[in-house]
Amino acid sequence: MSVYITSSGHYLPGEPVDNEQIEAVLGLVHGKPSRLKRRILQSNGIRQRHYAIDAEHNTLISNDEMAARAGQACLDDSFLSKSRLEMLSVATSQGDLVLPGFGSMVQAELGVAGVELHSSHGICSSSMMALKAAYTGLKAGEHDNALVIASELASRLFKASRYEAVAQEVDFNAEFLRWMLSDGAGALLLESVPRRRSFRIDWIRGFSHADAYPVCMSVGRAVGDARSWQDFATYAEAEAAGALLIRQDVRLLDNIVKLGVDGLLRLIDEGRVETGRIDHVLCHYSSHYFRGKIFDMLTQAGAAIPEEKWYTNLYTRGNTGCASMFIMLDEFRRTQSYQTGDTILCMVPESGRFNNVYMQLTVVEE
Amino acid sequence: MESKVTTQLGQECLQGLMRVWFDFERQLGRVPIIQRLERGNFTREDYRSLLLHLRQQVIEGARWITRGASSFERDYADVRSEVIGHAKEEHRDYEMLEADFVAAGGALAEIRAGQRNAGSEALHAFMMYRASQPNPVDLIGAMWIIEGLGQKMASDWARRIDEATDGDGRYTCFMRYHGENDDAHLDKLYTLIDRVCRTPEQQQAILRTARVVARLYALQLEEIEHG
Repeated sequence: MSVYITSSGHYLPGEPVDNEQIEAVLGLVHGKPSRLKRRILQSNGIRQRHYAIDAEHNTLISNDEMAARAGQACLDDSFLSKSRLEMLSVATSQGDLVLPGFGSMVQAELGVAGVELHSSHGICSSSMMALKAAYTGLKAGEHDNALVIASELASRLFKASRYEAVAQEVDFNAEFLRWMLSDGAGALLLESVPRRRSFRIDWIRGFSHADAYPVCMSVGRAVGDARSWQDFATYAEAEAAGALLIRQDVRLLDNIVKLGVDGLLRLIDEGRVETGRIDHVLCHYSSHYFRGKIFDMLTQAGAAIPEEKWYTNLYTRGNTGCASMFIMLDEFRRTQSYQTGDTILCMVPESGRFNNVYMQLTVVEE
Repeated sequence: MESKVTTQLGQECLQGLMRVWFDFERQLGRVPIIQRLERGNFTREDYRSLLLHLRQQVIEGARWITRGASSFERDYADVRSEVIGHAKEEHRDYEMLEADFVAAGGALAEIRAGQRNAGSEALHAFMMYRASQPNPVDLIGAMWIIEGLGQKMASDWARRIDEATDGDGRYTCFMRYHGENDDAHLDKLYTLIDRVCRTPEQQQAILRTARVVARLYALQLEEIEHG
C-alpha cells in the first residue's frame, strides 16, 4: 500500500521580523546590544523570521494554537472533512505545558474527535519521527488518513529576561541559537489514495548516533554541572545556574555535516537513493554555512546533487526547528515548478544528539 | 570544489572509505578515554597515557609502510615512489611524540620502555601481514584511516587536550604537526585511489583493510584503560 501527502499547510505568527528588528523584539540583555548577533546572522544567512511574542514579551499565540492553525489550513486545502480524520501525529521541541503530551493539546485546539494520537519529542527531527509514525500507521492498514503537525515556539527562550536571570555572563554557546531559531508551524495530510497532484512517500529512514556523540543542543543542564534542571531545590535556582538556557555546543556541529553525508552514502549503498535521479533536494540545514559544507563533502565523494536542485525557504521563514521541513515542503508544493514523476529528497539532520532522518517523495497524478 | 576521484570504481571506493571513516569516528566516540577528552574531564596523566600507547603504533607504522613499499612490483613503481615518499616524511615522527611526553611531565625512559598493548599488537601484526603481500594496494585503506586520524588529532584533539589540561601547545606538537601536512597527504591519497582501485576485488580489499585497521585502532585506544 502506498501513502501520499495530499495536502499541506503552515502558520507563521505575526509580521516578518528582519535582522534589524530582532533585538527590539527579543530585548537587550542588561540593556546592551549583542556583540555576537551580526556574526551569527551572517553565518546562518537568515534575513526574516516570525515570532509569537511581541516586544513587551506577551505571547500572542500559543504553540498549540499555531499547530492547530497550520493543521486547519492543511485540512481546508484538502478533500478530507475534519470529522473523517483518523490519526493525529504531532511534534514539537517544547509544548506550552510540560504535561500532558503536546498532541492532546493540539487535538483539543483543532477540535478533532476520536483520533488515534501520537506525540513525538525531540528537536528538529521530531517532525520526521511524527511523520514516520503516521506513515507506518497507514502502511500497516491501520488508518486511511493522518494529519501530521509540527510546531515550535522557541522565542520564549530568547527573551532578554531569560539571560538576565542567569548569574554568570552568557557565553557564545548559550547565545548562538538566539539569532537562529524562530516560531511557526507546518502540517501535512497523509492519505492512502492520491488526490490530484500528490507526493507519494517512497520511504522514510532515520539514523541516530546518540550512543557515539555527546549532547550538542540542549535545555536542562548548566555548563560543567551534570544535574538536570529538575534536580535543583527550586526551579529558580536552576534558572540562576543557567540550566534553563538553550545551548548549542558549536564545536560539535561539524559532526552534523559528516553524519548527514554518511547517512546519504548509506542510502546510496542500500540502493534507496540514486543521486542522478534526484530532481529536488529539501534539506533542513540550520544555517547557510552548513549548506556549503554538506555540498562540498558530497562533491568530494562524487555524490553531488547540482546546486540548482536545492530548495529552501530558510532565509525568509527562519529556522523553525522541527516545523522547518513541513513549512518548506508546503511552500515548495505551492510555489515551485515540478513534474509528475519527479523525485524529491528531504533531509533533516538534527544536532540535538545527532539524529538524521531522510525521506524520498515522488510526484504523482491521481 | 571538484570531485577528488574521477573513475567510477574509485568514486565508489571513496564513498565506501568515507563511510568507514564516519563509522570509525563513532567507534572513537564510544572509547572511554576519548569520551573523557570530549567532555573535558581529561587530565595530563590521561594525555601521557594516550601518548604512551600511541607511540608503539607510530613507530611500527613507519615499518609497515616501508615494508609495503618494497612489496610493490615493477608495474606499481609509481605507487612505490609515493609510498616511499610518505614513509620518509613520517618515519621519525615518534621522536616528536616522545618530546611531547616529556614536555607533559613524563620521563623519557618510561615511554621508551613502553610495550605494545593488545590492540597495538593486533594492528601491527595485521599491517605487517598485509604489507608483505605482493602489490598490497589495500594499504591505501590503512593510510586513509591513519591520515584521517592525523587530521582529527590536529583539528580537534590537540586543542581539546590543551584546554582540558591548561596547556599552551608546548606538549601537543606531534598532534598539531600532523595536521599541517596531512592535507597534502590526503590529496596524494585521492590520486592513489584512482590509480590502484581498478577492479572490484581491489576495491573490496581496500575497504576491508580500512575497516580492520579502524577496528583495531579503536581497540588500541580501548586497551589504554587496561594497562
